[in-house]
Amino acid sequence: MRWLIALVAILCLVGVFGWYKFFREVPQPPFANEGERFKYGSIGAENTRGIPYWIWVVLPRVFPDFVPGPGGYKAFGVVWEPGQEIPVGFSKKTIGFPRIANNCAICHVGTWRASESDLPHVVVGAPAHTSNLQSMIRFLTNCAADPRFNADTLLAQIERETKLSVVDRLIYRFALIPLTRSALQKQATQMAWMNRPGWPDWGKGRDDPMNLTKYFMTSQPVDNTTGQADFPSVWNLKIRNGDGLFLNWSCDTPAVISVLIDSALGLGAAPDPTVPLDTLNWKFKRRAWFVNRMQELDAYLSDLAPPAYPFPIDAALAAKGKVIYAGETNGPAGKCVSCHDPGQAHTNRLIPIADIGTDRNRMDTWNQAAADQANEKVKEIGIIRPNMVKQEGYQSPPLDGLWMRAPYLHNGSVPTLSDLLAPVKDRPTAFHRGYDVYDPAKVGFITTGDAAARDGWMEDTSVRGNGNQGHTYGTELSDADKIALLEYLKTL
Amino acid sequence: MPAEPQPPTPPRRCCRWVCWFAGIVIAVLVVWAAARFTSDKPVTYAGNEDHFKYGSTGGERSSGIPYSIWMALPELFPQYLPGKGLQSLGFLYEPGKDLPIGVSKRRVQGIDRVFLNCAVCHVGSVRDTPASAPRFIVGMPSNTVDLQGFERFLSAVALDKDFTGDRIAPVIKRMGTDDWLNRELIRYVGVDLMRDQLVSLRQMFSFMDREPVFGPGRFDTFNPPKVLLNFRMDMLPPEEWVGVCNFPSIWHQRLREGMELHWDGNNISVDERNRSAAFGTGALPPTLDRASVRRTANWLLDAAPPPYPYPIDAALASKGKPVYAEYCARCHGASGTDFAGDLVGKVTPIDLIKTDRHRLDSYSFALCVNQGELYAAYPAERFQHFRKTDGYANQPLDGIWLRSPYLHNGSVPNLWELLEPASKRTATFFRGYDVYDQKNVGFVANVSHENEKAFFPLDTTLPGNGNYGHEGKAFGTELSEDSKQALIEYLKTF
Repeated sequence: MRWLIALVAILCLVGVFGWYKFFREVPQPPFANEGERFKYGSIGAENTRGIPYWIWVVLPRVFPDFVPGPGGYKAFGVVWEPGQEIPVGFSKKTIGFPRIANNCAICHVGTWRASESDLPHVVVGAPAHTSNLQSMIRFLTNCAADPRFNADTLLAQIERETKLSVVDRLIYRFALIPLTRSALQKQATQMAWMNRPGWPDWGKGRDDPMNLTKYFMTSQPVDNTTGQADFPSVWNLKIRNGDGLFLNWSCDTPAVISVLIDSALGLGAAPDPTVPLDTLNWKFKRRAWFVNRMQELDAYLSDLAPPAYPFPIDAALAAKGKVIYAGETNGPAGKCVSCHDPGQAHTNRLIPIADIGTDRNRMDTWNQAAADQANEKVKEIGIIRPNMVKQEGYQSPPLDGLWMRAPYLHNGSVPTLSDLLAPVKDRPTAFHRGYDVYDPAKVGFITTGDAAARDGWMEDTSVRGNGNQGHTYGTELSDADKIALLEYLKTL
Repeated sequence: MPAEPQPPTPPRRCCRWVCWFAGIVIAVLVVWAAARFTSDKPVTYAGNEDHFKYGSTGGERSSGIPYSIWMALPELFPQYLPGKGLQSLGFLYEPGKDLPIGVSKRRVQGIDRVFLNCAVCHVGSVRDTPASAPRFIVGMPSNTVDLQGFERFLSAVALDKDFTGDRIAPVIKRMGTDDWLNRELIRYVGVDLMRDQLVSLRQMFSFMDREPVFGPGRFDTFNPPKVLLNFRMDMLPPEEWVGVCNFPSIWHQRLREGMELHWDGNNISVDERNRSAAFGTGALPPTLDRASVRRTANWLLDAAPPPYPYPIDAALASKGKPVYAEYCARCHGASGTDFAGDLVGKVTPIDLIKTDRHRLDSYSFALCVNQGELYAAYPAERFQHFRKTDGYANQPLDGIWLRSPYLHNGSVPNLWELLEPASKRTATFFRGYDVYDQKNVGFVANVSHENEKAFFPLDTTLPGNGNYGHEGKAFGTELSEDSKQALIEYLKTF
């Protein structure tokens, strides 16, 4: 009997120790405001995708040969504010041990600069047009596949930064380092579809959103589709919600909350989709926390103001442009307002592919079966949200903060607004995107020259999915009218 | 039939004693070895100034060179030194000391180890005439030490076939710098470990090969942190290659708190700046000796430069005072002890100051944000104040007479030439000579040799060495000769 008590006591101690070292959740310190929380706050992804903090810190130092340039994680083009411990779009949270995961901001915070010597201006909600997520994922894959990913090498580097306790060193050596490695290797297999030889790269400012959804949330087989698409802006979402309005490039989702939930689940946010509804109570708690966080984000992003154009605007010229935008003088073909002003007949709605004529690859990545399975999956987790759909065409978005949403079209195949108003044959066929110095003359980021070549990623519009055709509206306007229209678009 | 089991023989008494004795001996040995090989004890100093000159920042824990090897190297490898001993690289030795100023000693794991501290870059030497004895002045920029030369000496040694335990151990024995056990440890383990470290150090510092030779009194400040973070130095854009700059003076830190520190003004925190500089002394976040560095930092809060020791023409200086007030005070402070002025400690844009921009460009935005990771294990100490700027910071001029040569890259030999337009500044002059030039205010810069010692010719036409900028009407280079002379006389009072 005495032995039994001792055994139970020891098991309890082991349990408490294990809980403390691996599962104890420490809330993040409070954020100064919702913008900071958006940039660095947890969306709950640390549980399933969190990389142990110290491993995350030393990976670029142990594997500089897999980093695309000098600069640690900055070399992947992520937004990183001076004085911050981690880049924007990363969250640090202790669950047993400090972990690093990603949040919405990894794709939805962008920067601009007025000149090469300017410092980056950070815009919350803007497309992360400088970030090369695919190269960061591949970096992690390469690290995990390399024999240097071992306890001796990583700990040697870690101990240049911190003195781990004996227990923590053992935990890193025998648990965290091998487990992280195998988790990253498993993730690499799940992502193998994007590394097929000759497959189009996402490049900077893009991912393949519906294939990611399809391959992670459904059991759909890997198919031959590719749908690399720009990160969208996520400010002012209140004008995106409504009866019959759709989000995502191909109108795949009917409500903001659905986009938020599905995107967060894609980043690995809890609740773990494999956990059925009727398990332990704390899973419910986590689900409640998650749904609540999504609702908070919905509220925050609904009212987040788009950024004002930071350069001078010629008001008289813009006034002329407004007339052209409204289409009164150019007939229906030049009438921007009916598809792009909030509340208009065609805004936030589906434009059939035959009408819009843009590259169809992104649209073709999604299908009804995938939508049905994804809907079922979310329901199984116990979350109620409007269901995803499958449509044939592209969404006509409102143009708030348009200046900061370059390059244009769903696949970012047209570098500037000025190019978008040019006939397809005159649009650039290869340009460097992801350089953040602004070009007020053409309205978009600078995509040519040495600096753009150094910092940017070259988009080749002849690659499948990168086609720059379609949306020829307004391309036949006179030069004077185009200049006036451009000036007006700066005011949006 | 099996043999009858023998009853065990009782252990004999003397055998038991032997066991006891052996046990005690082993226990004593274990305790002694534990005490010896877990030791971590710096050599300490009672006076703050000695602590500054010889005290440890903790750098020996991770980067230390065994003391006895340090002492043996100049004997064994004189061919890699420009003259006799480390003195020939400009290291300053005080009478009776076996280690130069700026080198600290700590016993780590039973072996005395040495490494650099703050003073190696921030103590200089002044002689009134070639015949005078040198005075060592703490807090002034080192004007004699050739750190790059020292790094290259160690690199050369590492690759020499004679850098072996068997060659070094007898020298240690002859010099009597270590006991038998350490000698053998060094012979069979220490030298090989050190060779590995030095070879990787050589690899790490190969970025310097793309820069002009630093010479004494200069180093590259912000390429080494990139190496520390294992940046791909082979992919560094060319505009970041050259970061060579002068060592600064470090007096009056209390008055500097909140100013934009470092030549390009990239950090406003004195403490962060100190911890950043401590990396250069080998001290990493887990190995930094916080109490020791705090003691030095506190002492530097109010450390002051010595007054100008030569005659000052008071009447002339008083004529210079209004000139200073009109031209210099707004950026450089009201006086040598009053740093008031709305632009003091602020960055002047490069387009205005127009000095050599290499040092500015060597500090990149990518490095700046990555520095936010440093000291993350110690949240109160984590770097949060590094910023990328677009110019050079206006400095207070305390002890300006000791801070020659001038500008951030030490490209202008004296104050007189700094008040001349760049076209009239000396294109190539010599650095490292410590005799003072009272007429032009700065160190004598036209002496190439003294006895067998050669001084370093600074070629201002090389990238990073440009002696242009800080010129034009606003910078006083168009003043009359009389006004310039008066201004210089006044600056001697700082």
